[in-house]
Amino acid sequence: MARGVMLMSGGIDSPVAMHYLLRQGHELLAVHMDNRPFTDDTPLEKVVDHLTVLRRQYGQPIPLYVVPHGTTQTTLMRETDRHVGCVLCRRFMWRSAERIAEREGASFLVTGEALGQVASQTLSNMRSATASVRLPIVRPLVGLDKQEIEAVAKSIGTYGISTRPGVCCQAVPSKPATRSNLVQILREEERIDVDQIVEDCVRRALVL
Amino acid sequence: MYRTLRLCASGGGFEAIPDPPRPLDLARVRASLEAALVPVVDARVMLIAAVGPEVTIARSGRLLFKTRDPAAADRAFNLLRPILDRAATPPGA
Repeated sequence: MARGVMLMSGGIDSPVAMHYLLRQGHELLAVHMDNRPFTDDTPLEKVVDHLTVLRRQYGQPIPLYVVPHGTTQTTLMRETDRHVGCVLCRRFMWRSAERIAEREGASFLVTGEALGQVASQTLSNMRSATASVRLPIVRPLVGLDKQEIEAVAKSIGTYGISTRPGVCCQAVPSKPATRSNLVQILREEERIDVDQIVEDCVRRALVL
Repeated sequence: MYRTLRLCASGGGFEAIPDPPRPLDLARVRASLEAALVPVVDARVMLIAAVGPEVTIARSGRLLFKTRDPAAADRAFNLLRPILDRAATPPGA
């Protein structure tokens, strides 16, 4: 079975996506993009608890990389168009995950994204976000609706963790773009040093 | 301009919203906070200040106190309120 890198947010979807791949026997590493100070400690605490449940259930070590993402968010908010902030943010998450995948010999990336649940989950935004990486991206939940995902989360014991109170991402713009244009996204990224930002974040990652 | 603190929608913190709406001059807020030796992250469209619990200060005037302890949120709110009142954009400006 293949080795993959899974982006984990602390929400309902990512542990369910991970569950599907672990069930098939794939070996996974987890990456959490640590959004503090634009959130509080709860997303990281939830990811740690999700992994405790899934490690126990599947007997896999599932190392967790915690990648600092707050300074990247600050740079994006200061230097780029807020309207496309979610897409730019996602592009940095993917890049960090890919960098870790290369380091760990993983051949694919995984996300709990489903279509249309939040503003950033439109086809054009997904395309713009994932154009930042070369590795294939697996989305086990893409065709499921929220009720189906919640039912699985309850059955594997992660729903109660995901729904604990927590501070939502404060970096989300009030009117995020729902249709992004890759040319515009690339133009925005010309304002910042993308490679340096990714390298700094991955270098400062902690492995738990 | 601020009246009450209330639990935010996700239940993870407390928020205060100016009533009537009054946007903040974040550069002035930042200067006032730094003068009071409060650590501040300036993300241009918002500030994040460590006043006991961390507080997000949006340009719209919305405050989010990242604590579930109402007493801690209240203390931070009382510390911030005079600084923010001084930095509020005058009506009609």
